[in-house]
Amino acid sequence: MPEQAKPKQVYTSANKPIWCPGCGDFGVFAGITKAVTDLGLDKSKVAVVSGIGCSSAMPHSFSTYGIHSLHGRLLPNASGMKLANDELTVIGSGGDGDGYGIGVGHLVHTARRNIDMTYIIMNNEIYGLTTGQASPTTFVGQKTKSTPFGSIETPENPLAVALASGATYVARSFSGDPVHMAEMIKNGIQHRGFSIIDVFSPCVTFNDYNTYDWYRKRVYKLDQSHDPSNRLMAYEKAIEAESTNWEKIPIGLLYKTEKPTYSDLDITLKEGPLVKQPFPTKEKVQEILKEYY
Amino acid sequence: MSSVCIRIAGANGDGVESSGALLIKVASRNGFHVFGYRGYQSIIRGGHVWYQIRVSDRELHSHGERVDVLIALNQDSIKNQKSHLNDGAVVIYDPSNVNVKDLEGMNVRPVPIPILDIAVRISGDPIMRNVAAIGATLKFVGIDINAFRDVVTSMFLRKGQKVVDNNVAIATEAYNYQGVSTLFNMKGDGKQRFAVDGNTALSIGAFAGGCKFYAAYPMTPASGLLHWFAAHENKGVMFKQTEDEIAAINMAIGAANAGVRSMCGTSGGGFSLMVEAVGYAGMLEVPLVVVESQRTGPSTGLPTKTEQADLLFVMHASAGEFPRIVVAPRNIKECFTVGHEAFNLAEKYQCPVLVMLDLYLSEHMETVEGGFDLDSVKVDRGKLVLSNATGGRFKRYEITEDGISPRGVPGNPGTEFIAPSDEHNEYGDLISDAFSGLDDSVEMRKQMHSKRMRKIDTMLKNESKFYPDIENEGADYFFVTFGSTTEPAIDAIELLKAKGINVGLISFSYLMPLAKEKTAAILGGKKLINVECNYTGQLAQVIRLNTGIEIKNSILKYDGEAITGEEIAARAAELIKNFK
Repeated sequence: MPEQAKPKQVYTSANKPIWCPGCGDFGVFAGITKAVTDLGLDKSKVAVVSGIGCSSAMPHSFSTYGIHSLHGRLLPNASGMKLANDELTVIGSGGDGDGYGIGVGHLVHTARRNIDMTYIIMNNEIYGLTTGQASPTTFVGQKTKSTPFGSIETPENPLAVALASGATYVARSFSGDPVHMAEMIKNGIQHRGFSIIDVFSPCVTFNDYNTYDWYRKRVYKLDQSHDPSNRLMAYEKAIEAESTNWEKIPIGLLYKTEKPTYSDLDITLKEGPLVKQPFPTKEKVQEILKEYY
Repeated sequence: MSSVCIRIAGANGDGVESSGALLIKVASRNGFHVFGYRGYQSIIRGGHVWYQIRVSDRELHSHGERVDVLIALNQDSIKNQKSHLNDGAVVIYDPSNVNVKDLEGMNVRPVPIPILDIAVRISGDPIMRNVAAIGATLKFVGIDINAFRDVVTSMFLRKGQKVVDNNVAIATEAYNYQGVSTLFNMKGDGKQRFAVDGNTALSIGAFAGGCKFYAAYPMTPASGLLHWFAAHENKGVMFKQTEDEIAAINMAIGAANAGVRSMCGTSGGGFSLMVEAVGYAGMLEVPLVVVESQRTGPSTGLPTKTEQADLLFVMHASAGEFPRIVVAPRNIKECFTVGHEAFNLAEKYQCPVLVMLDLYLSEHMETVEGGFDLDSVKVDRGKLVLSNATGGRFKRYEITEDGISPRGVPGNPGTEFIAPSDEHNEYGDLISDAFSGLDDSVEMRKQMHSKRMRKIDTMLKNESKFYPDIENEGADYFFVTFGSTTEPAIDAIELLKAKGINVGLISFSYLMPLAKEKTAAILGGKKLINVECNYTGQLAQVIRLNTGIEIKNSILKYDGEAITGEEIAARAAELIKNFK
């Protein structure tokens, strides 16, 4: 008997994202869609979480569960969901202002906890939705609405931050290469642990410096010569763009390691997902009260 | 009535806290009512700390004003505590490190006992001098030394018989020391009671009510909650220590949205960081319980002292308008009740429930007469739906008459939705960007906001708790309180009765929303005195805002110390002489 084909799941919603024509975020949307489709995930067990910014159109573009959270608070919201229900596939999709600026503290801690989720940052080196101010990844000298005389702050290196913080899957991709990106996202979802994928996602309206062409000339894919299990080598690749004055920008999997996730180690979750654990009986509460007599 | 106030005083590191805990255990297990309150400082070693333990043969409502037995572990304890001594107070001290010249001319009774020598001779451990001091105290109070033996056996037998024997031998020697005699001769009723603090009571209540997730960043005086949940992680509740309070509340919201009963807690400073997310929980209509245990402000203020000055802040925290419930439990038992009830309210009305404690309620220990009523714990998850009956696209934010929409949970097929911090339609789709200001969106905003706000009417209609309780209705005057000042006010009423002044009590636990007419009817036409631990009389402001009733006579305290029945009674007696 041939197995009955599962009805094809539609992961996307009818909502039209607010992105400008040509925005890099369309590519990321396509990448996530391809990844979840290829993996055949049950859409009722997928949660897409965003913070605030152009990126927050992402969860609304899906027909899965999700949270469109506060600015910079994507990671704690996503962590709370995952800790409450370990059976969910949690995908975070935020921007560079959201994740590397206002919310960067959470990046360090979510990475070191190794929460099993995939965090995609659409990095366009600019604040788009607030109409073009400098972001934490804006280059030195770049003129924006908030840096009319040129930015004088060193741009953040998110991959180095992630590596230093204990992320177990660190990758970079480019919205101009949707096949590569979908692959990185898919592998990130399959990785058990905290996966971070920094995606160059050009802002066609407010950043006329980091354009598709600019990236195409500079990005190259990591090949066999890179060993993603070697953390030191990963650091070298994470700083290569800076050390070559952004002439050579490696994309691909920089680092991957297997480590128990937070849920694997948490004592409460040994009894199964929190959301499925029963409410305490009267006897159980009485047992606890005995501690105080 | 008979009650004895015992104060153990010394430096941080002298074992004052553990000695106090031991004394509380001995008294509470042997038929006495106990009320314990610590005075401590934000340092780890040195400084001056004390533990006041009031022991009585009847139910207690506050820690008491004057000290009857002082254990002075160092010289500072004489200097700092002499102003608190009652007439005829006993001062236990060791002449090898403390002199009592400062007490000359006072009507007190210094009792020199070589507690250090006794401790070292028997156990070799100088810290055991506290046990000798406790032994002598038990004799003065009238608690049998066998009671002490039973308690230390149950507490320390796991450390070995020798430890138990040393404790008993040291306490017994001091118990029988010359000059030590029974002064108060208290008689317990033989009942075993347990003593807990407000943080513990609230934690147990929350646990009983099915709280599965607690997130927090350490901050006095809310850290007791954190410690409780951390210690009980193996009992089916997850505790997550976060990088800051912003992460704590957002993580709790993420967990609540995923369907578990979820709570976070902090003090005023940490709550300041949580403020944005309180409104976010209101917008998401996620059931969330937030505990705010107040300490003396503003800013980091007096970290180890109490106050009730965050009431207006908590009631109005975050941008925009949204339904919220604010409740301030009035005593330890109510901490337990609110602990489980808060989750039902949060789930029924899909809104944040803000529980206000303060350092006094969070950290004082009290015997719980009759224990906690476990049969009162009921679970009501409101309009939680686990499947989609209609089969169409799930309307998570459906416009309903009572303002409450069906709530789906991630993981279940058919109820998929996005929980949005922006304004949205019934499905959770945004009306905030591309559609903002268009006719349909303007109408939707109006309808959606009204829907959320209608939940307040529904709460007021369905619940009979949003007004104050009144006691002694025929009284000439009424104390008006909320939260932790209620209990000392009860003590004050007793003290005033003895002076022939008839005072009643109107006390609030639920403060928001308020049933305005009912509240006004209870308060109207009475001579009211608000008793609050803040400068501006915040409860009186809330009352005026809701009912138009102005309270002109106030007892306010903002020095950081907890108010006692004695202080309230004394100030009330003065106020009443020139009642406005």
